[in-house]
Amino acid sequence: MIRHLHALLPQPRLTMRLGALTALQAILQGLLLGTLAPILTALLRDRPDFAAARPWLLAAGAGLVLYGVLTVVATPIGFTAASEVSEQLRDRVLRHAMALPSGWFTARNKARLARALTADAGNIGQLAVSTGGPALTAVLTPATIVLVTATVDWRVAVLLAATMPVAFLALKRAGRISSEVETELENAATDIAGRAIEVGQAQPVLRAAGVGRSGTPLMRRALAAHREVYRRGLRRAVLPDLLYTAVVLAGFLAALALSTGLFLTGRIDPPEAIALLVLTVRFLEPLSNLIELIGALHAMDNAIARVQGILSAAPLPAPARPVRLGPAHDITFTDVTFTYPGARTPALTEVSFTCPAGSTTALIGPSGSGKTTVTRLLARFFDVTGGEVRIGDADIRDCDPGRLLERITMIFQDVYLFDDTIEANLRLAHPDATARELAEAAAAARLDEVIGQLPDGWNSRVGEGGSRLSGGERQRVSIARAFLKKSPIVVIDEAASALDPENERAVSDAVRRIAEDPDRTVIVIAHRPATLEAADRVIALDRGRVVQNDTPGRLRHVDGLYARLHGRYRAAGAWRITGDRPPRAGAEGEPWG
Amino acid sequence: MSTTATHQAAPSSSAAEERAGAGDKAALAGPGALARLLEPVRPHLIGCALLSALAAAAGSVPYLATAEIARLLAAHGTAVEQDSVRLWVLVGAAGAVVRLLLVYSSSRLGHFADARILHTLRLRMVRHLGTVPLGWIRSRGSGRIKRGLTNDLEEMHQLIAHALGEMVAAVTAVTVGLLYLSFVDWRMTVVTATALVALGVSYRIAMRSATRHMNRLLAAEARISTASVEYADGVGVVKAFGAGGHVLRRFTEAVREHSSALAAWAAETRYSTAAARLLASEMTLLGILAAAGLILVGAGSLRMSELLPFLVVGIGLPTSINPAIHGSQGLRKGRTAARNIEALLTHPPLPEAPAPRTPRGHAVEFDRVSFSYDGATPALDDLSAVCAPGTVTAVVGPSGAGKSTLAALIPRFYDVTRGAVRIGGVDVRSMDERTLLSSVALVFQDVMLLRDTIAENIRIAAPGASDEQVRRAARSARIDDVIEALPHGYDTVLAEDTGLSGGERQRLTIARAILSDAPVVVLDEATASLDPDNEAAVQAALSRLVRGKTVLVIAHRLRTVVDADRILVLDRGRLVEQGTHAALLAADGLYRRLWRAQSGDLPA
Repeated sequence: MIRHLHALLPQPRLTMRLGALTALQAILQGLLLGTLAPILTALLRDRPDFAAARPWLLAAGAGLVLYGVLTVVATPIGFTAASEVSEQLRDRVLRHAMALPSGWFTARNKARLARALTADAGNIGQLAVSTGGPALTAVLTPATIVLVTATVDWRVAVLLAATMPVAFLALKRAGRISSEVETELENAATDIAGRAIEVGQAQPVLRAAGVGRSGTPLMRRALAAHREVYRRGLRRAVLPDLLYTAVVLAGFLAALALSTGLFLTGRIDPPEAIALLVLTVRFLEPLSNLIELIGALHAMDNAIARVQGILSAAPLPAPARPVRLGPAHDITFTDVTFTYPGARTPALTEVSFTCPAGSTTALIGPSGSGKTTVTRLLARFFDVTGGEVRIGDADIRDCDPGRLLERITMIFQDVYLFDDTIEANLRLAHPDATARELAEAAAAARLDEVIGQLPDGWNSRVGEGGSRLSGGERQRVSIARAFLKKSPIVVIDEAASALDPENERAVSDAVRRIAEDPDRTVIVIAHRPATLEAADRVIALDRGRVVQNDTPGRLRHVDGLYARLHGRYRAAGAWRITGDRPPRAGAEGEPWG
Repeated sequence: MSTTATHQAAPSSSAAEERAGAGDKAALAGPGALARLLEPVRPHLIGCALLSALAAAAGSVPYLATAEIARLLAAHGTAVEQDSVRLWVLVGAAGAVVRLLLVYSSSRLGHFADARILHTLRLRMVRHLGTVPLGWIRSRGSGRIKRGLTNDLEEMHQLIAHALGEMVAAVTAVTVGLLYLSFVDWRMTVVTATALVALGVSYRIAMRSATRHMNRLLAAEARISTASVEYADGVGVVKAFGAGGHVLRRFTEAVREHSSALAAWAAETRYSTAAARLLASEMTLLGILAAAGLILVGAGSLRMSELLPFLVVGIGLPTSINPAIHGSQGLRKGRTAARNIEALLTHPPLPEAPAPRTPRGHAVEFDRVSFSYDGATPALDDLSAVCAPGTVTAVVGPSGAGKSTLAALIPRFYDVTRGAVRIGGVDVRSMDERTLLSSVALVFQDVMLLRDTIAENIRIAAPGASDEQVRRAARSARIDDVIEALPHGYDTVLAEDTGLSGGERQRLTIARAILSDAPVVVLDEATASLDPDNEAAVQAALSRLVRGKTVLVIAHRLRTVVDADRILVLDRGRLVEQGTHAALLAADGLYRRLWRAQSGDLPA
């Protein structure tokens, strides 16, 4: 474990110093207790011999002072070391995360990352000090006492020494089982958490079914099953813990019996026997404390394993000598095949197409056809399994990842804004932008209307994740970023813009403006008939393969996926909610016909 | 945070949160929450504590036996009675065995009580949540409920399973130790006890400003947490714009603040913490007891044989106290958790009708309805309207007009402040809640699914329905073929990784609503367009659902409701216009303005 921790820390100096101090204190503690042997031997004679005890008493006094000084010195170091360990871990994890491919950031991995950066890093720092120290003491002090005991009687020393490896085996087993139980209980808790969410979210359904006050039968069974798992788990952990205590106690009792036996058979004198008894007790006490620490030590080990899990995720391979991206921004997919990590079937199979520089290409297809995957591969969320993706002449894997992303802007479904002002969120795209550039970008994305309605205008804060803005407004911010960034390649997903009408208009206007810009190569995952019709080219995907690739004008007359989806989108756009009767004829005015 | 939050939902739900928050504060439980919650297992806990105490006492025996042997040897030397030495060894061994047995029984009993009380409390929470207003659960409760059913209970578990036993054991061990020592020599016992009191005092001093420093640390931790979540969620932006520096800066600032908070605490309590640590160590007690003892021995008023028990038993006492300190922290956490749980359990339930009435007919009527989330600003103000059976009534209006609030009053997510909502002539508050909810089908943006099989998810609306009826409903909702394509078909248990898209999950809930055949349908039109790849299928399912029903639809896109039988136009909680699309356009009021805004530059 110390090794694990050591491997994680870039600069373990302070931790090492604290560890050395603690070890020194532990050994000193053992030696101080050891001085009891000669002192007692001297003082337990028929007439206490203070003269013989004096040098030992002086040494013990000096040792105690030294121990006190060490404690005073080590205390602030403990505080600092705890925060330094956490700080270093956080820094290292964050830096590593920055080099990971975007595709790594799934919901689950994001949660893992957040946990590693906050709770895990914090706990490792704290536990390394609050548990690591005492654990070191609990091992080194008894070990020192064994050595001291050897100076009094080797037989008792051997017995005590023999107790330690047996105890450690029992400890290891207890630790392993408690860690297994912990995992079991954690899984059971996850299940309960799922049930809890169900109770919260599906409450109206439960009540309509008359099971609001009892839960569904399955829920009741899950709760009862959880009780059993829980009880079993707790029970299972008890015996191994007790076994450890039993081993330590047995060692103690054996040493007690041996010491008294040696005395009763006349092999050692009373003072020695007493010294042995005192040393045996002092040996036992710290050792028996280890079991109290084992839970925390395992918690620390688990936290270290989680942090290591993140650090072992492979970063995006960066070329040693990156190729410079040229001025041409045509995009070429050649025989691209891609399978998501862990998936069995490929998401894309031998996909080939070209988007000429300055053109607009619409991607369409049913859900799960691979549209989003195409855009992810272009931005190197993942690297292709087979084939290649080129921008201009360069395979994107040969480019510097940072440089590549400078050329691409993505306007996606879930727009994330930082809890900062609108202006700061916009400036991310172009930190040195002038006020005029900002205003122009905002106007182009029709974000100016939104800003005009906010109490503090440009200085309004957007809330955590942008929560003070609606989905459409957030998307306008992301479009304004695209205008500001002036990157030559723009990838758009129209999906989320289908939310509320005002924003939909604003977004579709802006998208049209971007698409019409002759300097930009645009790929759009399209759902609107108008966008499809305005595209230079449409690529229809089905189950990961390109099934159609032509101009919208020509595709319209071909019976195929394009015609089918185009018809469906049109119909969806014209849908109306009606009761029984057929739609009324002649409703006036038809927005977006 | 829902990314689908529309203008409609945002203001109302935040207002509801404030209201719920105020309610919570009023319901805050007193300090006895823990005792009240643990009532059902009180005998077990008392038994567990007693056993822990006995175990701790038995655990002291080997030490006491060793001390007694040392005393005998010191007092009598080689002339000691061999049998009494052997007897003490046996006593020590017996103490060890008894201790192991008692610890085992005490843990068994504790774990039994633990598993049982957690289960009981979970059932109680589920039962109580079945009675509180749905609006509270919907606006704020989900996270609270999850925390109550999981984290809060976990903390109580820590308390029951560990803290309680540890504290009792620590107190017993110290008491037994001091008691024994007092029989040996009272002066030395006073010295020992004084050292222990000094330990307590210095710990107190060291922790004096703990709350303040903890708060600062917690605030810094929260900042770190926010920054890391921000990084993880915003990673797309971070990478796309090379904004790593921006995030990194916030993160490092938070981390630095955390370190300096810790450093400030360390600096302030440097000496008291060191003193507490010193006093808690065996070494200090060794020094004190040895010094005091040797002085007394030197003065001839204490025999060496009497000093030995202090070296055997006395030195170890501070170590026995440590678990009690951990235990008291567990107790504090357990108390907070218990308060949270009790607050959840005492949230006022929705008032029940004493003599429920059955509606006649399916007309929905709003009769001079006023409603306010916070008791001050009205969300709805004196609104009257009737939705005739078998017709579609659309509710439109700008953001925050009260559209969603109006819809939420029908299933009693909230109760009206004034006026009444009636179905079939009966006030919804006079109806049995189950009757009410089973006669209203809700299709909102948040999909309500159970972690159960697909078949049961559909069937729950009509418990007696046959498999064939379930399938027919699925076919009507255009979801049958999707279900059939799943490896276990209708027996697939829904989970996060079932692989159904948002639109497909929506269609499952629509299938359920179709099967229930509830005469009233309350619908949020935005559900149709949440999943563009499934839009047409969801629309078809909705069209099938609303056929022949009394329909109230919250509409964001006016185009979808131009054929509605009646359109209610809301503005700031008031009904400002109503009529058909054609009549409203002709009236040249708010509706016409909204229509023009949505159709852009096209002439209306």
